[in-house]
Amino acid sequence: MLQTAALALLLLPAAGALVLALTALSIPRFAVRLIGPGVVWLGFLATLYLLSDSLQNNVAHDFTYWTWIKSGAFNLPANLLVDRLSIFMCLVITGVGGLIITYAVGYMDHEGDASYARFFCYMDLFIFSMLLLVLAGNFVFLIMGWAMVGLSSYLLIGFYYWRHSAVAAARKAFVMNIIGDVGLILAAIALFVQYGQTTYAGVFAAVPKSDGFWIEVIGFLLLVGAVAKSAQLPLHTWLPDAMEGPTPVSALIHAATMVTAGVYLIGRMHPIFDAATYAHNTSAIIGAATALFAATIAVVQTDIKRVLAYSTMSQIGYMFLAVGVGAYGAGFFHLLSHAFFKALLFMAAGNVIHAMNDEQDMRRYGGLWKQMRGTSICFLAGSLSLAGIIPFVGFFSKDLILGEDFSNPNVLPEVLWAVGLVTAVLTAFYTGRMWWIAFAGQPSADRPVEHPHEAPPVMMIPVVILALLTTFGGLLQVQALAPQGWALVSNFLQPVVGTVGWPDSPYELPLTAATLVLAIVLFLVAYNFYVRKAWRPWSKALPWLQALLERKYYVDELYDALIVRTMDDTARVGDVMLEEPLLDGTPGGIGAATRAGAGELALTQNGFFRTYVLVFVGGAAVALILILLVRATS
Amino acid sequence: MPDYGQIQVGAGTLDARLVLGLAFVLFLMGAVGVLIRRHPIVILVCIELMLNAANLTLITFAAQLHNLEGQLFTLMTMTVAAAEAVVGLAILVDIFRVRDVDDVDELSELKG
Repeated sequence: MLQTAALALLLLPAAGALVLALTALSIPRFAVRLIGPGVVWLGFLATLYLLSDSLQNNVAHDFTYWTWIKSGAFNLPANLLVDRLSIFMCLVITGVGGLIITYAVGYMDHEGDASYARFFCYMDLFIFSMLLLVLAGNFVFLIMGWAMVGLSSYLLIGFYYWRHSAVAAARKAFVMNIIGDVGLILAAIALFVQYGQTTYAGVFAAVPKSDGFWIEVIGFLLLVGAVAKSAQLPLHTWLPDAMEGPTPVSALIHAATMVTAGVYLIGRMHPIFDAATYAHNTSAIIGAATALFAATIAVVQTDIKRVLAYSTMSQIGYMFLAVGVGAYGAGFFHLLSHAFFKALLFMAAGNVIHAMNDEQDMRRYGGLWKQMRGTSICFLAGSLSLAGIIPFVGFFSKDLILGEDFSNPNVLPEVLWAVGLVTAVLTAFYTGRMWWIAFAGQPSADRPVEHPHEAPPVMMIPVVILALLTTFGGLLQVQALAPQGWALVSNFLQPVVGTVGWPDSPYELPLTAATLVLAIVLFLVAYNFYVRKAWRPWSKALPWLQALLERKYYVDELYDALIVRTMDDTARVGDVMLEEPLLDGTPGGIGAATRAGAGELALTQNGFFRTYVLVFVGGAAVALILILLVRATS
Repeated sequence: MPDYGQIQVGAGTLDARLVLGLAFVLFLMGAVGVLIRRHPIVILVCIELMLNAANLTLITFAAQLHNLEGQLFTLMTMTVAAAEAVVGLAILVDIFRVRDVDDVDELSELKG
């Protein structure tokens, strides 16, 4: 029964995607509305069933459905691993995913019928891929899911395929993701070559407990995969561009689920990372660096979705920081919390973008508080959560990460804690800036819509549900406020990822309070900068910094000069030097020679019967003479 | 011409050279006829002549070597010749329905 439920959970979205793909041109709209979100909600029910079993029995199931490949030493069962970590991820994917897809029913309503069905087909395909990724019980399924979420992300970023920028962004995301796929595949190959295992259970039983060369190599290869998928430094440039996709896509794929797959990977592979110290520390360093890096860029962005994209990178940096120092429970709690409040922010922003005729420049909003009260309140809840202000869920999860970092006895987490603290303060500032510019003050003079309309219920209800989850979700785990308090998420995941191996520091609480006060102050400081305009804009004092941040530290330009243009030039040289003379020339030359020869030969076929006969008889005579000559000489 | 010995014909014997010479002359007549005559029916008849010359050679050597295969193969040749005559004549009849042909070189539409 459980086994069937796990399979049904996986296959329902696949069936939905298949049906929509086959009937996209003819299916009526109400059927799309039913199938698209319906299969995800059914999956959510299946997940709840698995959850209830897991809560009662606390058993990790490894369901083998059949033996897929058996060839010598290579033994690959088709198995799904249903343990608490995968159930946790499935809850996020189908729960938050279901809300977002329901929201999309309203958001995508102005699309044509075929595009409408195409959108939900892609979304269901994505949900299936993501479920495959988290339910996989072996590395081949993991790689399949890993690559397929990249594919569905590509399809959805390029959803408006008639816009050149969308296609370019989709391609960029795909290429970056492929780098990660290659890392993951190489890691799986190395694991098989070293330990002869393809399943998680086999690999984790076989990997050594202490550090070594191969375990480090595998750790770093896995890290490449995680970094590319989660848009961490230095493979981060695709995520801001991915905002070309429709807003529900940004909420689901580029905030709540797919980009957190890297965190899941590190958590899932924790037996490897616990042994591979250098790879593990590197993931923490990358996380902290990305968190700060993205937060600074977010301070100057003007497109509301890009601000959210950079904040996503920054928050995933926190998750990497947490799992990188071994605080897996805290990392996954932040994953859950981030899924709540970032999906909320994206969807509330989607309401605004919808009302503003697809205008995304938040400087042209202003004064929405009075006209879109519901959306504004929800967006405020998300913003305060992102800024880490009590009592919203972001406060509890982010300060848990900072606390675990701070109390870690090693030196590296202490340093990274300081980076995280600076990032938290910056986060409060740019979140405040976004909130005040877009919603407070007076309506902007060049606002595209004078009297915006509030979103319809099908969009508003998911937003409100997420706003409630954002507001009260912190009650799941209250250690940030009360170190001895309950910790539902960490305790739930404890059988899979274990607990942190160090005691809490007594300074955690005062530092949490200090972070909170700084965050509140910076959130309000943004008000003085951007609404009251009481102070001179900081960019006037530091114009070079403003330029540096607006150009995103010139990383895109750097990659363009180093990689893209080098490859373009190589390709051009190859085109002229190799392709034209050799690859095009060879078959072309053969063709031309054949044609010319055929033209000459065709003249011999003159149609006169007696010529043919003469040639035939003459040939026979010559052959006869030759035979006789050979006979005579031998 | 080398000596090909005697073959049995009824009660008596015959010099094989005579029969082979006849076959050679027949074949040459057929070949030259195909080459120089223009009317399609005549050409067909000349082809039959060449086939018969070949048959005669086969039978001669079969009799000389006391081997039945040559005689059997003659039957085969005659079957093929009959089929060939049928197909050739059928094509000619069809062509004559469309137009009158005196010279096979008039039928040169299929040149390259």
